[in-house]
Amino acid sequence: MSEPFEISRRALLAGVPAAALLTLAEGRADEPARRPRIAALVTEVRKLSHGEVILDRFLEGFGWEGEHYHPPVDLVALYIDQTPAGDLSRERAARFSRLKIYPSIDQALCLGGDTLAVDGVVIIGEHGNYPRNEKGQTLYPRYEFFKQTVDVFRRGGRTVPVFNDKHLSWNWDWAKEMVDTAASMGFPFMAGSSVPITWRIPSLEMPLGAEIEEVMAVGPGGVDSYDFHALESIQSFVERRRGGEQGVARLQALRGDAVWDALEAGPTSRGGWDPGLLEACLCRSHQLTPAREGFNHVYPTPADMRRMVRDPVAYRFEYVDGLKATMLLLNGLVGDITFAARIKGQAELLSTLTFIGGDHDSQPHNFDPLVWHIAQFMCSGKSPYPVERTLLTTGLVAAGVESLWRKSEWIETPHLAIRYRPNPNSTFRRT
Amino acid sequence: MPETPKSPRKRLAIITTVWRYLSHAEHMGDRFLVGFPLNGRWHRPEMDVVALFVDQKSEGDQSAQRAREFGLKVYPTIAEALRQGGDSLAVDGVLIIGEHGDYPKNEKGQILYPRYEFFQQVVAVFEKDGRSVPVFNDKHLSYSFDKASRMVAASKRLGFPMLAGSSLPVTFRLPDIELPADGVIEEALMVGVGSSDPMDFHALEAMQCMLERRRNGETGVKAVQLIQGPAVWQAGRDGRWSRRLLEAALSRSMSRSGKGLEDGRPQDLTHSGELEALVQEPAAYFIEYNDGLRATLLMLNGAVGDFTFACRVRGLPKIQSTQFLLPVNPNVVYSACLMHKVEEMIASGVAPYPVERTQLTSGILDLCLESKARGNQRLDTPQLNVRYRAPQTSQFCGAPV
Repeated sequence: MSEPFEISRRALLAGVPAAALLTLAEGRADEPARRPRIAALVTEVRKLSHGEVILDRFLEGFGWEGEHYHPPVDLVALYIDQTPAGDLSRERAARFSRLKIYPSIDQALCLGGDTLAVDGVVIIGEHGNYPRNEKGQTLYPRYEFFKQTVDVFRRGGRTVPVFNDKHLSWNWDWAKEMVDTAASMGFPFMAGSSVPITWRIPSLEMPLGAEIEEVMAVGPGGVDSYDFHALESIQSFVERRRGGEQGVARLQALRGDAVWDALEAGPTSRGGWDPGLLEACLCRSHQLTPAREGFNHVYPTPADMRRMVRDPVAYRFEYVDGLKATMLLLNGLVGDITFAARIKGQAELLSTLTFIGGDHDSQPHNFDPLVWHIAQFMCSGKSPYPVERTLLTTGLVAAGVESLWRKSEWIETPHLAIRYRPNPNSTFRRT
Repeated sequence: MPETPKSPRKRLAIITTVWRYLSHAEHMGDRFLVGFPLNGRWHRPEMDVVALFVDQKSEGDQSAQRAREFGLKVYPTIAEALRQGGDSLAVDGVLIIGEHGDYPKNEKGQILYPRYEFFQQVVAVFEKDGRSVPVFNDKHLSYSFDKASRMVAASKRLGFPMLAGSSLPVTFRLPDIELPADGVIEEALMVGVGSSDPMDFHALEAMQCMLERRRNGETGVKAVQLIQGPAVWQAGRDGRWSRRLLEAALSRSMSRSGKGLEDGRPQDLTHSGELEALVQEPAAYFIEYNDGLRATLLMLNGAVGDFTFACRVRGLPKIQSTQFLLPVNPNVVYSACLMHKVEEMIASGVAPYPVERTQLTSGILDLCLESKARGNQRLDTPQLNVRYRAPQTSQFCGAPV
């Protein structure tokens, strides 16, 4: 039986020009005539580092909608900043002949020549041995990689789409400069976390134009790492609300007992948050640590939470339009990231699990939709979601870190009055 | 004198083999003791477990602790549990959880869990006391299709609702697909893992809950065959099962072994030759339905760690494929999905899906293991003439509303 997908994939592997396949390749009309060539600028490539999981999905393909899918782009150049023990970049370059490692960003982007020679750039500045500042932020060189990329663009008078993994920079001013540079030079810029686009359980979307009153995300992990994922998850839901995104006015970060005091204070009006939101999040989790020995799944009391959670952190923030949000990092209590929202006029909360988990040997499947979107972005030049989302969440992480540094002061964030319109279409993995 | 009003809270008896941490009795029974998550809330069923029977109180037994804490009682016999020590049936629902515990295996490799025996004792009380209540039976009804059929017949004869089976049909699916009602399924393939006969049952029932929605409903199975070893790969090359469907199923897996375990790469197991290297003892369960549909279960231990499904439906351009997600230990949220269905049945008196699904699956498994015992022969199965209609409404957790 003939199979459109099968013909497409096999033929592409065999090097048949994609343009020749357009009539056969159902749903692939977005493939340009020549496969875009991509350069990746990566801090390190070790097993399960972001460098590995993203690069390998370009090289090996991945399971996607009923096939082992190979993205319609070629990863041809790699700059690798650190090659510690366990480095896999050289093994990958040896096994995939089209991929070459270059000693500098400039050479990677120019494929060893004098001028830009690739059709897209992927910056992966996550993992690796980089210093931390006094506020606890890891100084990943994303801005530095971006700057060097832009230097090559300027020199040759040509730009190509750029993807930046995770938040734009630990430094707000640099993040802003990155977005402004992309806008002024006119190149497509995409960034962010894989959490907004992974499976949701249940598979639901925030209705476009919803009047959202208050939201919460609960997750594990630390400040300046997983806070970003939970914040970007929040942002991917709330940006769809009535009036569009107008940005965040102020933020306060709490740590330790202050988190529990806020929890026990009751609703927002009394300094806490809507208690139903926390229940909804914990009830969407698939990894809620049992509060009692011998029981596999029990709902924790406030006393259980105080006992179980190591170093609780809360960021509470208020949007310019009045929406209130809380992000909780509850290590020891949960192992996954959940979201809940109270919508005006609706008795039931909207809540879901942004699913990045799985069993012990499970693959980081949340990078499948990320690489799928990156490849589409490299082909179309259109980011699936505005980079302003990640600019805002980058600013929220920086503000959270700053508030903790200033012993939980409220931080006014006029610089985060960022306005943008979301993609009205859902971009998370649902098929 | 009017009768004393019946307590609005239903009373449950749990009849189980063992109750220890992470046994089925624990993670299912506890849902009625401490509640469970449901649609974003912590849900506490309006019913109480009042009586337990535990066949084997081995090391780690928790039944005495649960009895103390939750005010229920452990009885020495099933009849006493159902009557709460009195002289007539004194519960409103019965859960038979005959999984785990130290029971012998027969020559076909089936673990002889005493589900049928438990059920017979439950039915004896119903008959003697002249009243029946809903019964849930965890997993397959019995290792024996004959016994399974007698169980279903007893529930029909006495007219009590009965629900049974695996949690896979009601757990989350990634993606959350349901096959179209009355679609024509051209071929189907399921991938499962684990040992026989606990885990192949789950895989077979997961496949059955998808296939039973097909046009004209379930009509039963006319023949089965179980083959093993290199013959499984040869059967694929001969077209007895579809490598394209295997690719589709594995595209839904999140736990592929092989080089990915060593260095993370998301390997294409289907076309790299890796699958054949990883799976030391493959098994294929071939099922030929009375209406002509052919379905295959591949048990691929060593290659993957999850349960996936793919099929072709006439008129749909894409192969339909999904994963039956088993959320991780210790929460095993799938058991909350299943216990909510049990709660529904006991509260409403209506089973949300037909017990014949589990009857047929019990029979498919029993006869596949018979095929294995008889040198992997294809067996005609006129006895698997089980007909039923599936509910139109999706029954799984997280199904689109």
